[in-house]
Amino acid sequence: MIAFSGARSGTAPLTWGQRAIWDTIERTAPDDHYFNFGRVLEVPRGARPASVAHVSRGIGLLLERHESLRTLVGPGPCQDLRDRGELAVRIVADADPAEILAELTANAFAYASEWPLRVALVTRGDEVTHVVLAFCHMASDGLGAEEVVRDLRLLLLRGRLQGGAPPQPFDLALWQESPAGRRQAWSAASYWEREHRRMPPTMFHVPSGGAELPPIWRGTLNSPAIDLAAQRLAVRHGTSTSTVLLTAVSALVAEVTGHETVAVLPIVSNRFRADTRTAVTTLSQEGLFVLDVEKSRFADLLATAHPAVLRAYRSAYHDPADRERIVAETSRDRGTPIHPYCCFNDMRFTEQAVDRDEALIRQALSESSLTWPLSQEQLNCRFCVHLSGAMQVSLTADTRWLSRQDIERFLFGLERLIVEAALR
Amino acid sequence: MLKERLAELVSESCDGQITAAEVLEASVPLSYLGVTSLAQMRLIDAVEREYDVEIDLGGDVSFLDSVEGLAAWVSAAR
Repeated sequence: MIAFSGARSGTAPLTWGQRAIWDTIERTAPDDHYFNFGRVLEVPRGARPASVAHVSRGIGLLLERHESLRTLVGPGPCQDLRDRGELAVRIVADADPAEILAELTANAFAYASEWPLRVALVTRGDEVTHVVLAFCHMASDGLGAEEVVRDLRLLLLRGRLQGGAPPQPFDLALWQESPAGRRQAWSAASYWEREHRRMPPTMFHVPSGGAELPPIWRGTLNSPAIDLAAQRLAVRHGTSTSTVLLTAVSALVAEVTGHETVAVLPIVSNRFRADTRTAVTTLSQEGLFVLDVEKSRFADLLATAHPAVLRAYRSAYHDPADRERIVAETSRDRGTPIHPYCCFNDMRFTEQAVDRDEALIRQALSESSLTWPLSQEQLNCRFCVHLSGAMQVSLTADTRWLSRQDIERFLFGLERLIVEAALR
Repeated sequence: MLKERLAELVSESCDGQITAAEVLEASVPLSYLGVTSLAQMRLIDAVEREYDVEIDLGGDVSFLDSVEGLAAWVSAAR
């Protein structure tokens, strides 16, 4: 057990980011363990040998510093911030940290009663070698978890952290309700409404005829060629590989569905402002990316995509209650449900773009491989693209709308589109 | 002065990976120097705070791609 005591307790409304992930968790239950994620920190050389007591102290300080790690979901729902408590820690000798992480993330959190962080220490002899952290998505998103890991690393090395307290979701919720927060919300809401009145009701509206049991399947294409080709395109067109991939996914969605206007919901970090950049909380929300795909050349499409990406990024910092109202109103006015059910999540933390050689890209094509790492019952979407590494592109889709064959065809089609554009 | 300050904001928006001097001397659009759309979003926030203006992303946003463009836009908006 690690005892901790922070500076304050109390209740506050959920922030926009917390509200967005909460709605998604509720819609995905009982498969909501889907949103658990984690990090493994290898104890840095300078902190070795680290005793269980030393590491536990560091984790206690972490919980004191970041209020989201000692916040439960209270009735309402609301933020239920506690100032003190005890966190159970698992200690396992000579284990594979990745396996321990899989165990820690396997079950959904008890949101109202369980601390939103599960911790295991992997030991060899008397020494802690790895700290395994499993996060409840109500406490943090991936970038927030990076902050936690960085702080923990420094705590292990130096025993303390410099600098003032980071921004806390408790205060963020109060800002979001202030006049300045409402102005931001209003500006984002007007954009969502305008686009919801013109975009196609949904992206995938024709049954695939190839529904599986369970219906949700993920295909993952491991494709170094996509990574290299996207880099070449990014350098050539003065953009990022993320924009290249989002644009390519949109172009291909247009091609397979026949829509001339494509709406995709990219997951956006919402860490552009000084009061959000280093916060440990879930800030990422869906933005709305709308692209008119009438241009045939990919290069022309990239130029159009740039301002559309900026609009999408800004629209992501919105009040989910506004969005819910807009979806309901526009669905009623247009006489059909309006929702893209088409999302895009670039989970890479950094990206580098170098003008890669043609031969290298061609050669990399032979290294591509497809796997099917996941199938499950529930997903509140029809089409979700995730990017990680260099580069795994996965498509998690509802086979009632895209068969497994469609998933495979899409992933290889995406590779072909990007590689051909890069070699043109 | 305006251009120098804007160049600093551009540099801060990309975590100093491009210096203010490089921004001022740039002969190509800033995006080709590595100012990504994420950095542009930080820049937009910084410019809005510093000059108490609001940038409308619905129109032409090519002014974000050079310090001259930014300076002209800020001067006109203030």
